[in-house]
Amino acid sequence: MTPWLTLRIALRAIARNKTRSLLTALGIIVGIAAVIAVVSIGQGAQTMMMEQISSIGTNLIMVFPGSRNQGGVHGGTGSVQTLTAEDGEAIAHDLPHLIRAVSPIVRSGGQAIYQENNWSTQIQGVSVEFPDVRNWEVASGAFFSAADQRAGARVCVIGQTVVDNLFPGIDPVGKSLRIRNMPFRVLGVMARKGSNTMGHDQDDAILAPFTTVRRVLYSSVFNNVSMLLVSLHSLDDLPVAKEELSKLLRQRHKLAPHADDDFNLLDMTEISNTIGSVTKLMTILLTTVASISLLVGGIGIMNIMLVSVTERTREIGLRMAVGATPGTILLQFITEAMALSTVGGIIGVAAGIAGARAVGRLQQWPILISEASVIAAFLFSAAIGVFFGFYPALRASRLNPIDCLRYE
Amino acid sequence: MLITLQNLFKVYRMGDDTVNALDGVSLTIAAGEFVAIMGASGSGKSTLLNILGCLDTPTTGSYLLDGIEVSRMSRAQQARVRNRKLGFVFQNFNLLARTTALENVELPSLYGAGLPSRRRRARASELLERVGLGNRAGHSPAQLSGGQQQRVAIARALMNGPPVLLADEPTGNLDTRSSAEIMRLFTDLNREGITIVMVTHEEDIATYAARRIVMRDGRIAPTHERQETVS
Ligand SMILES: Nc1ncnc2c1ncn2[C@@H]1O[C@H](COP(=O)(O)OP(=O)(O)OP(=O)(O)O)[C@@H](O)[C@H]1O
Ligand SMILES: [Mg+2]
Repeated sequence: MTPWLTLRIALRAIARNKTRSLLTALGIIVGIAAVIAVVSIGQGAQTMMMEQISSIGTNLIMVFPGSRNQGGVHGGTGSVQTLTAEDGEAIAHDLPHLIRAVSPIVRSGGQAIYQENNWSTQIQGVSVEFPDVRNWEVASGAFFSAADQRAGARVCVIGQTVVDNLFPGIDPVGKSLRIRNMPFRVLGVMARKGSNTMGHDQDDAILAPFTTVRRVLYSSVFNNVSMLLVSLHSLDDLPVAKEELSKLLRQRHKLAPHADDDFNLLDMTEISNTIGSVTKLMTILLTTVASISLLVGGIGIMNIMLVSVTERTREIGLRMAVGATPGTILLQFITEAMALSTVGGIIGVAAGIAGARAVGRLQQWPILISEASVIAAFLFSAAIGVFFGFYPALRASRLNPIDCLRYE
Repeated sequence: MLITLQNLFKVYRMGDDTVNALDGVSLTIAAGEFVAIMGASGSGKSTLLNILGCLDTPTTGSYLLDGIEVSRMSRAQQARVRNRKLGFVFQNFNLLARTTALENVELPSLYGAGLPSRRRRARASELLERVGLGNRAGHSPAQLSGGQQQRVAIARALMNGPPVLLADEPTGNLDTRSSAEIMRLFTDLNREGITIVMVTHEEDIATYAARRIVMRDGRIAPTHERQETVS
């Protein structure tokens, strides 16, 4: 008997009991739909996050003060104030072959006021290199100059969100806004950047010379910074650059050979790896749940196939009488179980895609339906049919034709 | 000889009891014969026919079909013998429900050497025509009378062109008129060269057969066999 014929007989047997077949396949349908939906949503989310990370710039290294290995008693990253703007200058100066630009970041927060409008936002002290480091252009006006930085001038460049809230319908360039009662002249407006991975609005920021922020807003007597943002010429240099950076900083901080680093290097690939592993974990978790549904579905198929073999004992006997070998009978019932679960799988894939799309539309979430997951779901559902159909099929093939023909 | 049985035993064990359903049967049937097997209920007629049909295996003894020992073959080999050399007609027809007459007739060819589906279809229609049901090809068994169902079953038995036709009480469920039709068909087929072995306990059905074998308690009764022909 040809495989095509075997399949046709199997499909007819399934179609004969439509309601029962559908109910039997329900476990598979639900399981496959869940897997497809979860994977599509998960992969979509992951790609979205990755895209946003690369919008920040993948060729960035963040240098934080404090040791990565420090435990609770020492406090977390950033608690030890050891990193200075001079470290940043030294990096830019000593490693020009690897590093494109460096900007220190001094973070502060506060309320900015313009006339009757006020807006609480993040005030970032950065260097003139900052637009270069972040690959972020000025949309109108200009960035502050090296002279402004040296002088600690009260000037700033603002993000689009700040413009929207403080200067609705007004060109802010040349105007003065007030932070903690001190006037800052607006030199320019940054291009719109959008939200980053964590949903943080990057346009909601006021950028001022770090010298100004540190002196005026921080009232800090020390020369330390919140972090250094280092951009590389090429992402390929990342491992070398991290090594060189580390060497340079250890030397500058005069650390003994066995002492822990008093700084912490973090790159975007590391962050994206972390995000990747989190989403992977979620996917694995949900896939496990879905697999249980598939297992239950498989057992359902086995159960109904056993019932079917009993119901069709006479048919089996007759087929054997006219020449079906035990092997043919085995194949026929396995094919039937496989067809049943595969049809379930196909319905499940369709339902999963529809479900993922619905979630995507509702949550404004991108959906990524990978061909691989659809093919895998298809093959997996077929495999479930073969696996759980084997035992009932074996029982059918071992029946004795004469006993079957006599069966009432 | 087409069929040679030598000292066939079929023993059923029921707890401590044993039943010799066949108790030393030896028999030869030549190609082209039309044999009726008769005997009381429980005398072993069906048991014998099932062994002849390779549906069952004897406990001991030998069964040569066309010179080949078939009683010790594997299940798959026996299935192939049934497919090619044997056609079955059952008392209760055993047609597949919710399947057309044509597809029922085709069934044995699905398991045989791969005939293209058009040729299968053509042969099945031809056979339905032959048994007088050319206009019923699309009917399912439920839409056919008992006699018509049995004729579909006969067409099915002939599908792979077997040399031997085995029938266990083929008219057991039929009225006199249908029975006569079936027997006329058998007689015609036998004239065309098919060997027929038929179990019956109806005297007037047995008269269609040229040779009569009577079973008694698992053995062939030592009656002198009557040779008759149908008028
Ligand atoms: N599977 C079985 N298990 C036990 N005993 C059996 C089995 N099949 C048949 N027998 C016994 O073997 C004997 C012969 O049975 P068989 O069916 O061949 O009789 P038969 O001549 O066809 O009778 P009938 O005319 O009623 O159909 C009977 O005594 C029956 O009880
Ligand atoms: Mg009987």
